[in-house]
Amino acid sequence: MATRALSSRRPGRVERVGSARLRVISMLALALVLAGLVWSRMAYWQVAEHGRLAMAAQAQYREFVELPALRGAIFDRNLTQLVVNTTVYSAFVSPDQITAGERDGVAGGLSSVLGVDKTAVMQTLQSSVKFAYIARRFSKTKADSLRALKLPGVGLQEETQRSYLPGAQGGTTLAADLLGFVNWNGDGQGGLEQKYQKLLAGTPGYISSYRDLANREIILGSHTHQDPVDGSDLVLSLDASIQYAAEQALADGVKRDNAESGSVLVMDPATGGIVAWADYPGYSGNDFNHTDPALFKDNVLSYVYEPGSVMKVVTLSGAMNAEAITPNTVINDPGVLTVGGYRIYDWDHRNHGNIDYTYVLEHSLNVGAMKAMQVEGHDAFYKNLQAFGLTQPSGIDVAGENFIPPPPAAQMADSQYATAAFGQGIDVNMVQMLAAINVVANGGKYAPPHVVERVGTQVNPLLLQPQRQVISAQTAAQMTVMMQQVVQHGSGWTSRIRGFEFDQAGKTGTSQIPVNGQYTQDVWSSFVGFLPAQHPRFTMLVVVRKPHYPGADRDWTLNDGYLTAEPIWQKIAQTIVVDWHITPDPA
Amino acid sequence: MQVAGAVAAERLHVSVFGHAYVGLGAVVIALLFYLAIAAQITQSSYDISRLQDQQRQLLAEQDQLRYQEVTLHAPAQVQQQAAQSGMQRVVPSSYVPGQQVAIDLGAPVGASPADTTPLWLRAVAALLNGAGGTRDVMAATKK
Repeated sequence: MATRALSSRRPGRVERVGSARLRVISMLALALVLAGLVWSRMAYWQVAEHGRLAMAAQAQYREFVELPALRGAIFDRNLTQLVVNTTVYSAFVSPDQITAGERDGVAGGLSSVLGVDKTAVMQTLQSSVKFAYIARRFSKTKADSLRALKLPGVGLQEETQRSYLPGAQGGTTLAADLLGFVNWNGDGQGGLEQKYQKLLAGTPGYISSYRDLANREIILGSHTHQDPVDGSDLVLSLDASIQYAAEQALADGVKRDNAESGSVLVMDPATGGIVAWADYPGYSGNDFNHTDPALFKDNVLSYVYEPGSVMKVVTLSGAMNAEAITPNTVINDPGVLTVGGYRIYDWDHRNHGNIDYTYVLEHSLNVGAMKAMQVEGHDAFYKNLQAFGLTQPSGIDVAGENFIPPPPAAQMADSQYATAAFGQGIDVNMVQMLAAINVVANGGKYAPPHVVERVGTQVNPLLLQPQRQVISAQTAAQMTVMMQQVVQHGSGWTSRIRGFEFDQAGKTGTSQIPVNGQYTQDVWSSFVGFLPAQHPRFTMLVVVRKPHYPGADRDWTLNDGYLTAEPIWQKIAQTIVVDWHITPDPA
Repeated sequence: MQVAGAVAAERLHVSVFGHAYVGLGAVVIALLFYLAIAAQITQSSYDISRLQDQQRQLLAEQDQLRYQEVTLHAPAQVQQQAAQSGMQRVVPSSYVPGQQVAIDLGAPVGASPADTTPLWLRAVAALLNGAGGTRDVMAATKK
């Protein structure tokens, strides 16, 4: 059969079979090409573009929401809360979702509830933008009113805001310079908010869940969830009541003295904990976006100044500790001393004759301080500055410390040593200076200055470290008696507090402000002191910048610390005495 | 028993279509059950979502109240209220002089105080203790 069939084939038939095969093969090839195209396209979408498409698909039905961590609170030493997290609202519009007919009603509603300009809102609604904020950070009451209006195309966004306690002056918040503030991105700006940003902020969590067609969350669907870790609370050494009193007294004093600004720093002598940190003019941390940025500068820590005669406490303490002088050592003070080719005078340009070092401190005589430094020697004096912490930053746990190191010992000229002995030509910040004077109040030991006592439940490790002995306890006691004499017989008389007249120690400081290498008539006036003298409960430094005391245009010495800074010190000390129930030591 | 079982099996016998219908019915029931559960879950989700929203608002309100409370105790507010009430900070005119008291924590404690309980009471107590009575009888009678 097969043979016959083959033999019966005609040549033309054979050609037609070949043609059919060709057609089949070509069809197959075409099909393969087409299928290949489809497959390759599928491979492109499913393999090459898989990640992107999967992401796009997930974006439609899955939602990734960050769960913000609650920022830690800040408390004072009595656990008074200084900062509270509050929820505020921002209103936004989506103009493309509001028809032309609805615009007037929407603008009117927004204007009536939020108090915004209706014309401006109308302009926004008529624009081609997809999203625009109408008002930011308003209260829940307004948010509730707005929600009740059910305006189309208007949305509310919840945000967290740090709310600080009111300060002593209108438009300020309590301890604004110390605490700093938190910007709208949740970042601490200045002060403790910046220094402890990481600890306060905590770690945000997240939740990833499904959404339905109406964009509603399906909570019980499959989702991943990570709880946030809230920030730690801070407990400070600050006393809110004393802080308030300090702000009030400082503001009154600066205004009375017609000064440019002023600052107060109060310290616990035994621990170095800061009790009050006031700066005038201040600002409101609740309204930082409407505040002149110049006010954000913290003058306590960022402003360096020449401490003036307050430095004599350091100079004489070092010299006494080195046994170069004693409080009773007698020197001759003709009122002027020539050092390195410069004639350097006492503040009163008077010949004081033979005097002892107690008298030198009482009357704040530059010649005496320079002579003490010369007897002690340059090297010992420089080491003394280092030991009192005046050649390095204080290291306090507040952001923004400014510090100008003195030249290396070998590069300091004789005249620089001489002026440094009475606090001119050497720059310090207030924290450095107060910590140095506090050495005397703390029995000769350096108490590291700090503000935070506890982070969460952990005690600041600084408090557990042994304190460095700078001068002997005996030297500290001698200097304390000399500083008591300043209050009783010298320039410290305006700081006296009733009942403590014989039991408080202090020292004034007045230094001229240099501009372009020349000293001007403007001064920094300061007063530092502690009480009770023998068992101090607090050490306080007050600095007034550029005071213009009545009559000072004729006699610049009227801007001296005893007339400008001391009354402020006295007022604050009086409050502390009452608030902390301090009584004088028995005679 | 075997005969009866066979009869019962014969009566329960259903056709192939019957099996298919039963199977389909079961699937439909399962599907409906699943849908009902899914709908319930979704409904619960929405309820939870609504409650969460409500909770957020209550927390916001709580935050505001807390701030108000803290502000009421703030020194600024306290002083203002005190001033309104006519109160003023008074500078003390005198201080009670302090008197130092010497306390030696290292000193020996000394002999324990003598027991002044009458003898007859001790005897009664011993008797009661022995009889299983309260051991606090002495303390109780001394009060």
